[in-house]
Amino acid sequence: MSLLYPLVLSSALFGIGLYGVLARRNAVLMLLGVELMLNAVNLNLVAFDAWFADQLHTGQVLTLFTITLAAAEIGLGLAIVLALFRAVRTVDVDEVGR
Amino acid sequence: MNLTELVFVVLAVVATGSALLAMTSHQLVHSALWLVVTLGAVAGCFVLMTAEFVAWVQVLVYVGSVVVLVIFALMLTRQTGGTTAEVTGNRWTAAVLGVVAAVGLGATMIAGFHGQRIEGRRIGTAGSIGDAIFNDWVLPFEILSGVLLAALVGAIVISRSGDDH
Amino acid sequence: MIRRWSYVGLTAVLAIAVAIWAIPDLRERGWFAYAPDGGPSLTPPLPTLSPDLFLYPTSAQIVLLAVGIGLLVQIYSTAYLGHHPRYRSYALIIVLFLVAMIAVVGTTNLWTLLVGWEVMGVCSYLLIGHEWETAEARAGAAKAFLITRVADLGLVLAIIVIGETYGTYDLLGAAPFAGEGHHSTAIGLLVLVAVVGKSAQFPLHSWLPDAMPGPTPITALIHAATMVAAGVYLAARLFPFYADSTVVLTAMAVVAAITMLMGAVLALVQVDLKRALAWSTVSQLAFMVAAIAAGDPEAGTDHLISHGVFKALLFLGCGCLMHAVGSSALSAMGGLRRPMPVTFWTMTIGLAALAGVVPTVGFFTKDSVLHAIQHATAGDDGLAAGTAWALLAVALLTSLVTAAYATRLWLRAFFGAAAEGQDVHEAPHAMTGPLVVLAVATFALSIGQPFHLGMGVVSTLVAAAGVGIVVLAHRDGSALDWSPAPLAAELGLDRPFSRWIPAVVAPVSRLVVDLDRDAVDVYPRSSAGAAGLGSRALELVQSRNAQRYATIVAAGIVVLVVVGVVLT
Repeated sequence: MSLLYPLVLSSALFGIGLYGVLARRNAVLMLLGVELMLNAVNLNLVAFDAWFADQLHTGQVLTLFTITLAAAEIGLGLAIVLALFRAVRTVDVDEVGR
Repeated sequence: MNLTELVFVVLAVVATGSALLAMTSHQLVHSALWLVVTLGAVAGCFVLMTAEFVAWVQVLVYVGSVVVLVIFALMLTRQTGGTTAEVTGNRWTAAVLGVVAAVGLGATMIAGFHGQRIEGRRIGTAGSIGDAIFNDWVLPFEILSGVLLAALVGAIVISRSGDDH
Repeated sequence: MIRRWSYVGLTAVLAIAVAIWAIPDLRERGWFAYAPDGGPSLTPPLPTLSPDLFLYPTSAQIVLLAVGIGLLVQIYSTAYLGHHPRYRSYALIIVLFLVAMIAVVGTTNLWTLLVGWEVMGVCSYLLIGHEWETAEARAGAAKAFLITRVADLGLVLAIIVIGETYGTYDLLGAAPFAGEGHHSTAIGLLVLVAVVGKSAQFPLHSWLPDAMPGPTPITALIHAATMVAAGVYLAARLFPFYADSTVVLTAMAVVAAITMLMGAVLALVQVDLKRALAWSTVSQLAFMVAAIAAGDPEAGTDHLISHGVFKALLFLGCGCLMHAVGSSALSAMGGLRRPMPVTFWTMTIGLAALAGVVPTVGFFTKDSVLHAIQHATAGDDGLAAGTAWALLAVALLTSLVTAAYATRLWLRAFFGAAAEGQDVHEAPHAMTGPLVVLAVATFALSIGQPFHLGMGVVSTLVAAAGVGIVVLAHRDGSALDWSPAPLAAELGLDRPFSRWIPAVVAPVSRLVVDLDRDAVDVYPRSSAGAAGLGSRALELVQSRNAQRYATIVAAGIVVLVVVGVVLT
């Protein structure tokens, strides 16, 4: 398989994720966009690892670490969103700025 | 175009389409569910690149816990007032930026890696990845567990200080 | 009570100081023939503003007249205006006015004279508009100020011409060279413009009757005795500078003739006592100007002083009548001689002086004026003989009409049936006291006046004719109300000032206001608007919206990456 297919897919997913982060009004769904961006990065890492095939399996291991960190981050992020919701009864990012 | 590439293209189309739907859907839970589809398609891509362990972890962790957490959060922060528009006035800037980012990155990749091919070698088995982690990547692995602990404690603290009000 | 009398005290101090200064100079008579010993030396040719106080004998008389009447007016005002909330400013502006009058009369420096002249104009504006709650007072004050101010341009230009011609702005310095024909016509015409405005002669006469909404004591002081007389004084003082210009003297004679007859006729048909006295003032001022035109400024200033005394008496008496019946309209008065004896007798003396009846000073000074005009009919210098004869005829006719309207006012106010429902009593002593003083002065000043038998007989006959006509008409039962329509509208002579000039000026001033708002003011206002726009643009950075910050960061990264990739 040509290396370019996964790479182009990951760029597209990254762009879509960026749009989601910047354009979504609900804070939780903003975090969803962040997850998508992280996923695109993972795809990139795995593709390069499949192509380069080094002895340390660097790309795949880093992908595992990224998945773990993403899980930790989403937990923490959602805790913050919940605390915000408790404080101002809204998770709309435009309202929150007031 | 051999079979691998064909399947990959199908999975890519599914992933991109569901990602778009996830980012633009007006129903909150639908967004999360479309993301599940995206993540599943990406996991399929991993398998096609012979990284089966990573694909399995992706399904387990991402789809299994992250999306579930997101759906929990969506339910808990349901606003009592009517739903306003789901996208901000920022969206045209965001769309431009997203397109520019995607195109830029894609162009860089194409410029750099044109004509490279992935040889099909079975490299992603659980055994080989496990060997790599516990022989070469032990230190980052341990630090990562520390990070997870910190995140756990932090989440509990943040949730609790909300209660004290 | 003590509060008000303190201003009287202040005025009295001023009057005494002036008296001490002025009385020694009263002895001589004469103008530039008077050679001062030890007067101020010639001033340098540049205009200076030192007081340069110096009194000619006639100046001394005028200055004493001014402070004397000022003191009497202050005493009168304690009763007339005593309860007015703005009494303090009123009394102090009177004192300021007297100082300005002294400056005009007592200085030989023309610029000091101009300063005093303008300050008098300002005081007149402030005092006419004393009751500024009423629209007539505001309008009258503004009209008086504007008309006299415009005419003062003539004075400013005349001063400049004198200064440039004679090399000095000091009258004593210029006096020896006067009369040698330098720019006489120009000086004379410019002075005539100033006199016409300040002394309410035709065509700038209409401000004086419209200044009547001012308080009556002010009318007595300013608009009868002193300020309007300042115009005549100026004409007399600067007489040597233009005396050899026949053009100027003829113009003065024409203006005086028109004004005196017009003023007298209009005084005859007025229904308001105060306005009638105002027109009478206009007419009598024209008498003085006529005397100057005829070549005898001394006769003019003599009549000025006597007119000041009896006209102030008449106006103050009018104030007493207004205090009694509540208005100055003749229809509200009638049969007032029994309830108000003091006012009756003093006003009779005043009206007799106005008409020119024998023992009063009015007779003597009018006699001097007529004699001066008759002397000019010889036509040797100054006026041409024909002009002088015409002037004499008009002056005699005016004397007839003057006697007639004086008698009419006397009969209407004090005789006949009283208006119903009135509780009339004599005015308080503070008001009748000055009347008595002025009545005594009307006789006392007759002492030492020159007497010309021929003209005296003629003027007495003319006055008797005027009195007789009116008394006969009254006996016949006429109500003495003659007001044909054009005269009642005062011949429409006020229309240029009340209609035409405002109609021209108002659109121009509106245009100026609009230009200022739209063409000039737009720059400051738009800079404020620009600042607002700029701040609103910058406000976007501080939106407190996390997504917007993230957008900016992402955009910045993209830009940096693109720039970095492209440029390297």
